[in-house]
Order: sequence, then structure tokens, then C-alpha cells
Amino acid sequence: MHQSTFARTMRTIAGWLVVGLFFFPIYFWTSVAFRDAKDIFNWPPILFDFKPTVRNFEQVFGISLGFGRPEAVTPGGGNFYMAPRLLDSIIVAAFSTMLAIVVATLAAYALSRMNFRGRHQFVNWVLSTRMMPPVAVAIPMFFIFKQFNLLDTYTGVIIVHGIMNLPLAVLLLKSFFDDIPAEIDESALLDGASRWTIFRRIVLPMARGGIAATAVLCFIFSWTEFLFVLTLTQTSLKTVPVVSSTFVTSIGTAWGNMAALGAAAIVPAFIVILLVQRHLVRGLTMGSLKQ
Amino acid sequence: MRDHDRKLYLASLTDKLVKGQIGRRDFLRTAAKLGLGAGALGMGVQRAPFNFVSSARAQEALQPSPETLKWVADVSKPFAGTTLKLATESTPPSNALNSQLKKYFEEASGIKVEIEVLPLEQVLQKLTLDVASSLGTYDLYYIDQSWAASFNQDVFDPREQLQNAALAMPNYNIDDFLPALVDGIAMYDGRMVGVPYDIPIFIMIYRKDIYDELGLKAPTTMAELASNSKAIMEAKGPAMAGIAGQMKSGHYSLECEWTSMLWGHGGSIFNPDKKFVGNDEQGLEAMAYWTELKKSMPAGVDGWTWDGQGQAVAQGVAASMLSWGEFFPYFDDPTQTKISGLCEVAVPPAATSLRTKDQTAFGETPGVGHQGGSTLAVSKYSKSPDAAWIFMQWATSADTQALITALGGGTGPTRTSVYDDPRVKANARVGAGTTRHLPIVRETIANHMGSEPDLPEWAQLSSDTIPVALGKYFSGGYASAKEAMDDIATQVDDVLKG
Repeated sequence: MHQSTFARTMRTIAGWLVVGLFFFPIYFWTSVAFRDAKDIFNWPPILFDFKPTVRNFEQVFGISLGFGRPEAVTPGGGNFYMAPRLLDSIIVAAFSTMLAIVVATLAAYALSRMNFRGRHQFVNWVLSTRMMPPVAVAIPMFFIFKQFNLLDTYTGVIIVHGIMNLPLAVLLLKSFFDDIPAEIDESALLDGASRWTIFRRIVLPMARGGIAATAVLCFIFSWTEFLFVLTLTQTSLKTVPVVSSTFVTSIGTAWGNMAALGAAAIVPAFIVILLVQRHLVRGLTMGSLKQ
Repeated sequence: MRDHDRKLYLASLTDKLVKGQIGRRDFLRTAAKLGLGAGALGMGVQRAPFNFVSSARAQEALQPSPETLKWVADVSKPFAGTTLKLATESTPPSNALNSQLKKYFEEASGIKVEIEVLPLEQVLQKLTLDVASSLGTYDLYYIDQSWAASFNQDVFDPREQLQNAALAMPNYNIDDFLPALVDGIAMYDGRMVGVPYDIPIFIMIYRKDIYDELGLKAPTTMAELASNSKAIMEAKGPAMAGIAGQMKSGHYSLECEWTSMLWGHGGSIFNPDKKFVGNDEQGLEAMAYWTELKKSMPAGVDGWTWDGQGQAVAQGVAASMLSWGEFFPYFDDPTQTKISGLCEVAVPPAATSLRTKDQTAFGETPGVGHQGGSTLAVSKYSKSPDAAWIFMQWATSADTQALITALGGGTGPTRTSVYDDPRVKANARVGAGTTRHLPIVRETIANHMGSEPDLPEWAQLSSDTIPVALGKYFSGGYASAKEAMDDIATQVDDVLKG
């Protein structure tokens, strides 16, 4: 189809504008991380004309990056020292995602392939658990976890995040498994393969894209979850969304430090998405064409 | 060494520090040999935002007294290995304790102290859960003054704890706490709900350079506050407003500002019959005044808590504020603001008339200097109350409070003796962590302090009922101030009836 130069140019400009629209908040937030407090709030806002500093990162990660005047950095101390908290986030998100995916793939395969009484009702029930507001279960969870000594532990938070993500993971994976023709399973069964072998050797590799897409969603939900971590942890661990509120002090908010942690927290999630990107695109488009 | 030579040597030393040829540690050590402390040098040690403190300074200049630590070591022997937990708001004292001072206690006592720093509303959530479950997940409670009534039965009265001579710190001197603060923050129904731990209080902070330029003087009356603010707005606005407010709809900060206006016009929240009277003649006068004063505030003030208010002054968007004195050291920090050294403090403007405590209810004490603050108390559900009591005494002792004030960025002490401590006075110069505003804070506590009422429902009334309705008024949700205040009166009545 022929397009005029004008139309092409306009389309390119529009494309860049949309990209700019999405990129600008990330740029501005990241730039705040590199500013002194006196350069953050200005009218009119300063976009580029500020003297960059890495002090916010030095305080948040307790390291000296060696730029500018030597600063007293307090590794392991200080209320704004957040490096361990970033690690907490990675551990919780990674293991809760693994937990959810392992359980969900088994459950989703069973729901997709096996006929049993009340199968459809079961799917609806799984979906309904997702509709329950987390705040309704946070307090009872606190008491249960205290009883089982799971309060303020990695295990506790990983279990909660895993359970929280399970309904969504089961439903998503079931739809991915549904898109893989059941005839493949039947052929393998005729050839003498067991259900477990079919699941592990045939269906699972074919659903790799769907599993990757589901894992990314589980990881992001866990990465950004606030309420359960706030309620079920104290001092042993905390994830990034919860510790971000530490920067809100009685005499104002340390926006530069908060932005430094926020900018750093983008990186692990970005790496995870990057690693599974190839599968992700395939997973998200699975089933979009009817044969 | 002659004075002249000493100054020359010091200048050369400072030059080397600025050029990075020597480290801060070497500089301080050499300067100390010259008989000059960092405070005397007028430079302070550069601090990170919001009272993040320099470890170099803590280690070299300000350390707990050996006598106090010896007592801690002796008395803590049976409790070595215990872990204590405290959930607290991110305040200067808590930050100084957590990041700089608790390590001394831990080393001496063998008791581990874990401090969870959270925003105020999250602290309330944690405390409520702990009390409701009686599980003792926290050993110490940080209790905001507005929660004292709610938690008064859940903590030990420190006066009773002091009766145990075996665990009592020598020279703890509970009478050293400012009496007005004990009454305003800690007392409820005859019980002492912990000891005063921090004291943010409303003082007048204003830009001296702007005031001088326009020939203004620090306001001594509410009328002068309004006229000064209006004059600045007319001369400098809209780039610079006369005064900044903390008027976010539905937020506790809005209620704080309202009480200051209300009390400053002879009103009160309750009358002796325990009825809400913010809608009486004085209450409506206050609303009219406040509505007019708002015209001298920056646009967007409806969305600001004290955070936005402080930023407005720090960034030169507003020339004054009647607000928390805790902000002042931040304003003086040249690495954080553009107004270092330009602000001055004064006691709050005098009220047009002032009701006495007898004319109110629930212990409400009218005064333009709205008092915030909190107490530190040992939880009744703690599994280690004795160890917690030892830590609490150490954390609120005169020696530790002096260190907190010096290291914690010039926060207001709650003990009389700390205001006169040489370590605190040494920081009374322009720069980060200044204490030059503390004489005004002290005078405001003594003569201008206003305290909110103490009743179990106050947390709900002050953080929800009143600020939501006030926010609705300022956004045009009511036809008049009278209608707004009458509605608040009805709602307060409903809450009190349960």
C-alpha cells in the first residue's frame, strides 16, 4: 500500500510521541534519583538542567561510588539502607512464582484434560477466590501465621504470594493447555505413554510460552504486592513496595532516596521480562488463531 | 599556638578538605587538636536528607556516656540474647536511635533491638493488631499523642516501673521531662501512658530576608499573621505566597491546622459538657479567618500535608509557615534547600482570646502552638518487659536524648536538662541539624502550647471525621462554614454516642 511522505512522517511523529508519553514518567522518576533534594521541587520543573549526584544511591545501597566529595556512608546502618530489602523482594518474587507455577501447571493440566464430576464448578470456584479482597484475609492470616511461626519469615510470605497468584496462574495455564490439541495426548496414550510422561515430555514443552507469560505476571504481582507483606512482616524482611514508605518521615518525604530505590527496583523485573521475552510474545498470542 | 597562627592553619586545613586532599576524619581530628569542635567551626558535618547522620561524627565526637553504658551492661546481664521489637514512625529521634545509637546499647547489653520504621498510619495498624491479638509481637510501643487514650490500658505506667529499684536507671529523673509535655502527651485518666519521646510543635517560621525587605516584623498576633501574609502575597505573589498551609482533605494535618486557628480565636473543640463547639461564634470566626488566610497561600495547598507545606517553604514558594518546628533544621541545611540561613523562628502569634482548660473537656488545652508528639512505652503483652524497660530508660535518658538531638538533626527534646546540654547548644548555628530554634520551641511548650483532647474516639475524629468535612468545606462542598461545622458537630456527636 502506497503512503505519502507526509503520512509516513506523521505516523513516525505520532509513534515517537506515544513512546515519549510512556517513557517520560520513567525518565523523570529516574532523574529524581540523581538529584539533590533542592533540585527536585522547582517551578517551572527542571527536566535536564541539574547537577547529577549519586548520593541517593549511595545511601540506599550503603556503598560509596566514589564520585564528588567523600561522603560518610553507613553500610549496614541507616534507615534508608535498602540493599537487603531489594534482595528480599527478589527472593520472595522468584520463589513464590516458582511455587505458583509448579502447582498451577499440574492443576491446570488436570482441569484441561481430565473429566471429573464438578470440573466446571471447580474452575468457577478457583476464579471466585481471586475476587476476594486481600484485606479481608490479611488479619486472619496474621493470626494463623503467628500460630505456625510463619510471621516475619520468607516461607510465610512466599506461601502467601504463591497462594495469591495460584487462581490466576491456574486459569491462564488452563487456557494455554486447552489450546494444545487433545489429540496429541491421545496419540501418545495409544503409544503407551503415561499421563505423567505426556505432561512432562509433550504438553509442558509445547506450553512453554504460556508458562513464561504466566510466570511474568506472577512475578510482577508478587513484586508489587503491598498489603500481605506489610501485615505479615516486621523486621526480618520487607519487600520494596513496603519499605518505600520508610522514606515518608515525620518531616517530609525523601523523594530522591525513594526514586533511587524505585529506579533500582525496575532492573530485576526488567531482567526477568527480558529473559522470557521470546516465550512471552509467543505465549500471549497463543490461541489467537482458530484452526 | 597564637590565635592568628591557629586560624591560618585552620584555613589551610579547610582548603585541603575542600580539595579532597585530606579526609573528613583527619580534618576533624586535627581541628579537635586545635581546640575546635565541628560545631564551633560553624560547618557542621554534612548530612544526608532528613537527618541521616554522619557515622564519622557519631564515632568521633558524640558517644553515650560510659557511666550510662556501664549501668546498661550491669543491669542487662540476665537478659542477654533477648530481642526487642519496636514499631515507630520515621521521626528524627527514631532515626537517630536506629541508625546511630542503638548499637551502643546492643554492645553493652547483649540485647538486640529491632526497630521497624513505618509511616504513622501503618504504626497504628501494627499496634492495633498487636493489642487486639495480645500476642506481644512488639515489646515497645510508639504511641502518638492522639492514641494515648486508646492504648492507655495496654502499656505499663513508667512511674510504677520505676518502683523496681533493681531495674531503675540511676538519675533517670522522670521529673526532668517538661511538665507541660507529660500532661499534654503522656497523661490519660490518671495513668502515664509512657514517657514523652518526641515533641513536634507549631512555631512561627518565616523568611527573615523577605520580611526585612518588606519592612515586616514577626507576627505577634493572629491579625498580624494575616496582614503580613497578605502583604507578601501582594508584593511577591504568585511566585511567592505569604504563608504555606497543610490542608490536604481528609488528612490529620488539616485537623492540626484547624485546631491552631480555632484555639487562636478563642474557640475550643469541646465544651465542659463534652459537646463539640467548633460551630460556635469563635469557631466560625476562626473559619472566616482561615478562609481569608488561605488566599495568601500557594495554589495547590489543598493537596498538601506538612510534607508539601515544608517543601513550599524550603523551595521558596512560600515565605512563612505556622507549623512543626522539626522542619527548621531541614530548612537550614544548604545541601537540601535554597533557603539555608534565611529563615528565623518566633513563638506562635498570640490568640485573640484563649479558653482555659476548665472551659473545655477531655483534657483539651487551647493554645496556638499545636502540640504533636509521642510517647515510648513498654507493652503489657511483651514477653520481655524488663529488657524493654531497660532499653526504654536508656533511650529516653538525658544523655541519650542529648545525643538524639545533636545527631538526629535538631529535633526538640522532651527533657528540660537537654535544652541546656552543651552538646545541644554547640549546634546552635546555621547549618544542617541546627538547634538554634530550640529556645523558641522551649518557650512555645511552656507558654503557647495547645493540646488536643484525650478520648478513645479521638483517633477517628482527628484523622477522619473532622479533616474529611473540613476538606469538603474548602472544596466547596458546603454552602457555608456554619453548615460545615454544624455537620461536624452532628458527626462527632454520633461517634461519641457509639
